[in-house]
Amino acid sequence: MSEVKKNENTTAPKVDTRKTEINKFTLLFNKLGIWIIVVLLIVVGLIVSGGQFFGKSNIQSILEAVALVGMVCAGLFYVTYSGNMTDMSVPITMAFGGVMAVQCINFGFVGAIVVGLLAGALIGVINGFMIGKMRANAIIWTLAVNLLISGVIRVVWQGKMLYAEDIAREDMQDSANLFYSISRTYIGGVISLMAIVMLVMFFISWIIHTKTGFGQKLKIIGTNYEVAKFSGINCTRQLMIAYVINGLCSATAGIFYAALRKCASYENGTGYDFDALTAILLGGVSLNGGKGSIAGTIGGVLAYGMLNNILSWVGLGTYSKYLVQGIVFLFIVWLNTYSNRKLGKA
Amino acid sequence: MMKKSLAILLSGTMLLSAAFMTGCGGGSSSEAPKSSAASEASTPASSAAPEASEAGSEAPASSAAPEASEAGSAAPAGDVNVPEAAKASYEKLLAAEESLMTTDNHPMMAEGLSFDVPAVDGDAAAMEELPETDKNHWHYKEYLDWDQSADAQFPESPADGQEGKKVILIVHGAHAWTTCYTEAFKAACDAVGMTYDIYDPNWDQANQDSYVDQAINERPDAIVVIPVSADHATQQFKKITDAGIPAFCSNTTPEADAMNFIISYTGPNDWYQMRTLAAMLGESMEGKGGVAYITHNVGGSPYYARCYGPMTELAEKYPDIETLDIQSPGFEASEVKQVVADWITKFGDKLNAIVLADDSDQAIGAVEACQAAERTDIKIVAAGISKQGLELVKSGDLFGMSYQTCQGDAGLAVRTVSEWFCGIDVARVNYLSTDIATKDNASSFEPCQW
Repeated sequence: MSEVKKNENTTAPKVDTRKTEINKFTLLFNKLGIWIIVVLLIVVGLIVSGGQFFGKSNIQSILEAVALVGMVCAGLFYVTYSGNMTDMSVPITMAFGGVMAVQCINFGFVGAIVVGLLAGALIGVINGFMIGKMRANAIIWTLAVNLLISGVIRVVWQGKMLYAEDIAREDMQDSANLFYSISRTYIGGVISLMAIVMLVMFFISWIIHTKTGFGQKLKIIGTNYEVAKFSGINCTRQLMIAYVINGLCSATAGIFYAALRKCASYENGTGYDFDALTAILLGGVSLNGGKGSIAGTIGGVLAYGMLNNILSWVGLGTYSKYLVQGIVFLFIVWLNTYSNRKLGKA
Repeated sequence: MMKKSLAILLSGTMLLSAAFMTGCGGGSSSEAPKSSAASEASTPASSAAPEASEAGSEAPASSAAPEASEAGSAAPAGDVNVPEAAKASYEKLLAAEESLMTTDNHPMMAEGLSFDVPAVDGDAAAMEELPETDKNHWHYKEYLDWDQSADAQFPESPADGQEGKKVILIVHGAHAWTTCYTEAFKAACDAVGMTYDIYDPNWDQANQDSYVDQAINERPDAIVVIPVSADHATQQFKKITDAGIPAFCSNTTPEADAMNFIISYTGPNDWYQMRTLAAMLGESMEGKGGVAYITHNVGGSPYYARCYGPMTELAEKYPDIETLDIQSPGFEASEVKQVVADWITKFGDKLNAIVLADDSDQAIGAVEACQAAERTDIKIVAAGISKQGLELVKSGDLFGMSYQTCQGDAGLAVRTVSEWFCGIDVARVNYLSTDIATKDNASSFEPCQW
């Protein structure tokens, strides 16, 4: 079942002459995507772990390892989906959220969390406005924001670590302890609060993506910005919402990160931009925008964590782990691209 | 116009809120170290490690015991022959050594230690043929065992004291540790009457190289470098020495060949510290069980010292202790937590101890994993000393950690540079005094330096 599109009119500028090939494999992979890889990893995991893969401690380990990157992915998905590739200010949004939460611990636990989230949302508003309204280059702008906020934190807090218990007044020490405990809480003694928050965030993100007009509009913006604009969609508003969601999600991860690390610092969150983008791309989201799903992103996040877990079971050293991870990730991205290509979707 | 106003308003709001929030914390943590670093204080609470003694001896001597030896460069004022022109300066230096204390109440400018270098039969290539669990395999990484006959022509000391001299410090990169170090460096320079410029290449080797060139062009009286990487250090120090400027290396051990161009290295003796820690760990394990290692960044000097230092010590003294695994997941608590959780599931009861290269994020991750798996019987030791690590020691979650003073590191560098300006023969290698922090003596190291 193949078809060759012939370019008979030499003046026609863009006719795709590449082969398409619709078969069971390409259809199946395109439909289930990364989840096929997840199932394969589970099978491999069961074999190499001698059946302990689904043990309580192992599942805990996988979920906790991906919780923070998963929280970031729940928001970063919208940035990539909107056709703006990625947000280079994710690390500093995480750091700023954590720093503001710790600095405001004297407002009480809830107050500190709210301020931390607002800090993330504020960065989202600025990014959304500049990229959505002013059409700033998303990568350059967010990179600049990353540097700017990093500078602000370093200047204001003199590059030092912030400890909640040092900042909290005598009567607020309980708030500081409660803040630290959020990354160490296990619901029912089994599943960590971080993992639950990640799953809840993905659920909310899935509803926003599939059940709201915002999700539909963002798909059009991601697919073709000009078309979206001339269709009457308020692109600036939609992009601002996308960046605010991303800021909130990054700040949430940053707050948990600061609680886990027991200190806030400008360096918290370093590397999370690329980790999250890797997981999102593994999940089949297109860097060009308009393609992908939250379910795929969850699959990408899980594959990311499970592969690391399996390689530990195998007993590979750090260098070999990087090598195998690189090969597997390249394979997954190739498989995604291949199936899309054969179905004429890319 | 409205768009512009909105953009300005948003940026302004963010900056103002940051400034406001900083103020509203009241006694912010940033205030504490600054004042205490320069404050006078009571008697130091801890001492140097058992085999080490205060020194300043000739650099690598070929003797059998790798213990510290006594020597003369840091002897009391009365015993040191200081030229007349440097006497006033030297008095100022002595006063600073007496008065400057670290945040945790230890002398900031304590004299350095030197260690004798054991003799080995063969060059670096021959030693690397030995198994990794043999101490001699790492001899040339552990000891700055350079060929002194190839030493460069070092600049002569002006022997007129350190007062009024300008020193340029080039650090490796921005970090809370570096902030602590540079503040202590400034405090020590102020106390001895030296001026300073500090450059931060932000962990970029090319930036550091260009800062070295810039520093040479400024013609300061001395340059102190914390190398970004050991293998680039030789070229950097050669440039400085060739320009006729005295070069000092601080904190990070350079390649042995770089010592031909360095007047003095000052910093921690990671290998010795970790061996001491491992000996304590091995004893508590009663000589049997399994140990797994989480390393520092692969390739740097702490990677070798903090992994193979304890491993070779355990292999020598407790051969029944087995090495289960070595991993390098970096410095993120969640990554380390996953590695340790995987170890617990994989090795089960065979895993009895974990050696960490870092006592903050790595320690938090390892402790969290052990607690989640209800394996609090696993003994964890780490290199330190950070606030998070010390809290874990106090709570008993960390069995022990090495004490590596950050402010003392800066103080020792300034002391050594000052002594050189005073015309005193300084030791080529000056190590920091060290200690082990355990639950019993944790209060001796509070409040933490960074």
